[in-house]
Amino acid sequence: MSSILQIAQALQGSSFGTAIAESTIVFPLIEGVHLLGLALSFGLLLIVDLRLLGLVLRQVPAAKVHDQLRSWIFAGFALTIVSGILLFLAEAADVVFNYAFIAHALFIVVGLANAAFFETRLAPRAAEWGESLKLPAAARLAGAVSLSSWIVVVISGRLVPYLA
Amino acid sequence: MSTFFEYLQSSAVGQLISGSDHLVGAAVQIVHIAGIILLLTAVVLVALRLLGLGLREQSLAEVETLARPFLWAGLVATVISGTLFFISTATIYAPKGALQIKLVLLVLAIALQFGLVRRLVNHPASKALTTGGAIASLVLWFGVGLAGRAIGFT
Repeated sequence: MSSILQIAQALQGSSFGTAIAESTIVFPLIEGVHLLGLALSFGLLLIVDLRLLGLVLRQVPAAKVHDQLRSWIFAGFALTIVSGILLFLAEAADVVFNYAFIAHALFIVVGLANAAFFETRLAPRAAEWGESLKLPAAARLAGAVSLSSWIVVVISGRLVPYLA
Repeated sequence: MSTFFEYLQSSAVGQLISGSDHLVGAAVQIVHIAGIILLLTAVVLVALRLLGLGLREQSLAEVETLARPFLWAGLVATVISGTLFFISTATIYAPKGALQIKLVLLVLAIALQFGLVRRLVNHPASKALTTGGAIASLVLWFGVGLAGRAIGFT
């Protein structure tokens, strides 16, 4: 435990971490990117997840929805994750044992693992789903897991300053 | 004006939030952030389609129909939660430049979304107007978000 704290303190105390934390413009800007980038990452992923669950764009094959939004979702997650890492570097020791932050980090792993499973195991077979409205149970489950884990990630992220 | 903000803040609704557990404030924050995501997602979907960069195999009308409930849910959630924040902290926040900029951008963004963007969806226009409208809507709505984020830092 203490070694985790030491690493976190070293990160936060590094010249890079301190520079971000102390900048009155860069820090709020990174927070802004972290929040607003969610419109691309989680927001567009929400559309794909809701399609997997058969709740939106039912007239369009799920694979078609996913293929058209995939690169935007990846770009959005790149923005969100990079800005999140920068915020963590600036506040590592303050948040590393914060329960909200621990839940945030844990559910990011769940969300990413689910996305990796979907991309490698399910998406390659998406052509077989064709025009069908109701997708195989595995695809619907992946949509539900994605939706719920990212909702927890967003809520726990916002709660970090409240559970400090 | 400042007497009005004092009145708002001391009203029953104002006291309800500021006088209660800070987790009530956190819950209102979560409603606000959920609304921001829904609202910006709707804006992004329509703008990307107008620009020909996302869901281009779907018609404009189809994308607008998809985005509409997200836009409304997002607007309702952000405006209600934002108003609750404002009422509970009116005297501190009303004079803040970032909040004033945010509100001006919000009015412009709403006017553009329900004036120009909706029209572009239903009545095809020149490429220049379509592209300009889509970019303006992205700039204005993300500007509202950035100005909003700046409130807490000023």
